[in-house]
Order: sequence, then structure tokens, then C-alpha cells
Amino acid sequence: MSGDIVVKTKLGEYLIKEGLLYTETDEWIKVEGETITMGITDYAQKKLKYIVNVELPEQGAKVSKGEAVVTLESVKSVADVYSPVDGEVVEVNEELLDSPDLINKDPYGKGWVLKIKSSSSIDTSQFLTPSAYAEKVKKEEQ
Amino acid sequence: MDYGNPVEEHLSTRTSVSVFDVSHMGRYVVKGGDVYDFFQKAVSKDLRKFRQGTMSGPVLLLNDAGGIKDDIMLYYLRDDEWLVVVNAPNVVKDREWLLNLKERFGFTDIEIEDITKETVLVAIQGPKAPEVMESLGATSEVKNMKILEFIPEAEILGSQATLISRSGWTGEEVRSYGFEVWTSIEHGAKIFREAVKAGAKPAGLIARDSLRLEMGYLLSGVDMDESTNPIEVRYWLPLTLGKTECVGCEAVMKKYEEGVEKVRIGFKLKKGDRSIPRHGNKIYAGSNEIGYVTSGVYSPMLKRGIGMGYVKATHAYVGYKLQVEIRGKLHEAKILEFPLI
Repeated sequence: MSGDIVVKTKLGEYLIKEGLLYTETDEWIKVEGETITMGITDYAQKKLKYIVNVELPEQGAKVSKGEAVVTLESVKSVADVYSPVDGEVVEVNEELLDSPDLINKDPYGKGWVLKIKSSSSIDTSQFLTPSAYAEKVKKEEQ
Repeated sequence: MDYGNPVEEHLSTRTSVSVFDVSHMGRYVVKGGDVYDFFQKAVSKDLRKFRQGTMSGPVLLLNDAGGIKDDIMLYYLRDDEWLVVVNAPNVVKDREWLLNLKERFGFTDIEIEDITKETVLVAIQGPKAPEVMESLGATSEVKNMKILEFIPEAEILGSQATLISRSGWTGEEVRSYGFEVWTSIEHGAKIFREAVKAGAKPAGLIARDSLRLEMGYLLSGVDMDESTNPIEVRYWLPLTLGKTECVGCEAVMKKYEEGVEKVRIGFKLKKGDRSIPRHGNKIYAGSNEIGYVTSGVYSPMLKRGIGMGYVKATHAYVGYKLQVEIRGKLHEAKILEFPLI
């Protein structure tokens, strides 16, 4: 897609997809009505490196905004994925249990992590646009 | 740390061939007529059978209490010139310790020069390493070396290396067969590039860590340090028990006779448990805390978390199940013999 952003720094190249929103904690989110599909960004997966273990919540689990809902473990370190809203887990990507590296291979596609139904209408202005997220990444890489 | 995918780098080393830049390891030249007598004092292994053209295998620098300062490798170049490889964090410290011993025991004919920064060390590791060496123009003499042999001034890629050895730290005794080339910076860079062209996968320190841990090799400063002695570490290879003349030797013998309270073990998590044990995780038997993890990784060969650590000697049975606390949750683990694969 032409609108995608590729941030190039001395340390690497990171794809930021158009049409998604982003968080300060390096998740991407796609808002459809009250449902959010989310995963981690290309930048996040590259920092984390090869992911070997994903701990997912149960479907139906109640989550609150800012809560660590998923744990990703790579050969290098451990990272949490935070819920951007109060709500309920409606679907998790179970393919990740067998192939955690789908997150490395396709962070915005097959490597999606979970879907959360928000308990109230979603204020999208709290999230970062692709260009705002690109700025954040550039800043961190300086 | 890696070249994109440490798991693939690991598997390539086990099944094919990889090339590592391990120049961070410290390197000294030790010269003088006292070399043999000096090291006989300084290291844990008896060197009477040590011969020209071979490496000692790991040997320990011990403190007076028998604690482990480092494990190092000696290369017998000539009667009056040996080379030494030490662990990266200890480059300065080990040399100071050796100089200190030189003074303490009154050795006069010995010089220790740190040449870490003037040379590089390139490791070509894996079952197909001999093929890569062949495409780099290694002689059959080099290719046919046995484990822990080396050839000084060996020719490779049209120039002479300081030496080429049959060695590595990836599991050479069991599954893979490696070479290490010790040479000038420029020559080393060329060897690395040409090895990649010849089919070796560039591999980094993350893969090196998972490779060594599958084998149960110890990382100095992480799995052992001055507060641990070779008996509890159960590190027999570098130790000649009963050797009396070395610094720390008698203290180690005393520990052996008295017995130790904790010992090092290796373990694997259950099939399918990809959680990774980490340095400092606690080990339990039921509700009883019995030890701690010193190293853990995801094992690409076993496809699960593995690790090593220390537990009470009363609980160190191979096959015994224990629990490792990883991020607040207990994970079942089974004690294994080394190597873990």
C-alpha cells in the first residue's frame, strides 16, 4: 500500500501500516465499531527479536485499560501486550501457540494477537496515527 | 547479538554450518622459559601431559579459597610460548591476576601480553565446517586435525593465520565439528565474508548462548564465579583432583572431602512449555525452595525452555522433577544429565 510508512534509522527499518492506529506501548490496533483487533508493531517485534512463547488470555476474560493481557517471550526478553480499553477478550489468535514466530513473520497480518470488545464506545483520538507513531519510533532510535 | 533469527542460526550450527565472530574473547601471548612451571601453579588441571600443538581444554583460574575466577584455554605453541584465551569480561582482571601470581611465586622469565585488540577470532562451526574450510583453501592437514589440535601459521585464503584450531563452544564433541581461526583483523573479516559465501550462516551471540547451554557449557561470571567452587559446579573437565601445586587446588580438595551443600544441575521444561527460565528464577520442590537458575534459554532442538542452576545436593537426582518459578508461575522441570540434548 502506498500509504504505509517505512521508518529507516541507523538501527533498522520498520514498517508502519496505513489504516491502523498505534499505542505508546508499541501495539497496533484496528477499530471496528466497539471491537479492537490488535497486535504488536513491526518495530516492537524487531526489538523483541525471535518470539518463542506467547501466553494468551482466555476467551471471555474481562480486561481493563492498561492491563497486561498477553505475554510475549523472545530469545532476548519478555514483553507484555496491554489492553487499550476496558472490555472483554472475544478472540485470541490460537495459531500463535504453535507458531509464535508468526508475529515476527507477519506482525500486521497472521501475527495478530487478540480481539477485545470494548465496554464503551472507543475514543480513537487517544491513539497515535501512523505518522505520530513514526515520530515516536524515530525519537526512540536516536 | 544476532543476524536476524537466532533460532535459525542455532539450527544451522547443529545441522549444517555457521560462522561466528568471537573476537570479544580475550587473547594473551605468554612467553618465557617459566611458562610451564607458571601455569602449573596458576591453573586447576595438571599440565604434565600437555603437548605442543594442542589446546589444554578449559582450565580454571582459582582463588585461594578454591573459588572460580575464570575458565581459560591454553595453547601450547612452543616450550617458551603459550597462547591463552580468556572470557571477555575478564580480559583485564585475568591478566592482573596472572601478573600477581608471577610476582607472588617469584617467576622472572615470563611475560604476559594482551593481544586481544590486534587480532580476531572467527569460529566456523557445524557438521559441514570442514567443507567450508576446504572452500577457503585450508590444507588437508588443517581439515584432518583432531579436536583440540591446532596448527600455527596455517595458510587460509592466501594468507597465514596466527593459528587454526579444531575447537569451538557449540557442542563439537557431540554433534558438530568446528574450527577457530585466530588471525589479523583484515584477514579475519575476509574469512568471515568468504565463509558466508561458501554457505556458512552468520550467527551471533544469542545462538552461541543457546548452543552452549544445550551442551551444558558454563558461562563464567553467570553460571560460576569466585563464590562457587568446582565441586559444586561439578565441572570436572578442567580439574585434576588431587593436584596440589596450584593456587586453590588444596581448597578444592578439601571441599571435595567435606562435601558441598549445593550442586549444579541442568533441566528441561515439559514438552510444549516454551516459557524461558531466566537467571535468578527460584527452584522449588513442592513448597520448599531448593535452588536457583543461573542460565536459561529456549532450546531450538528440544523446542522448549531449558536451563541450568544450583539446587540442594539432597535434591540433585537425574530424572527428579522440580518446579521453576518463572514470572510468578511454577513450571514443572526435569533434571537431566549434560548435555541436555
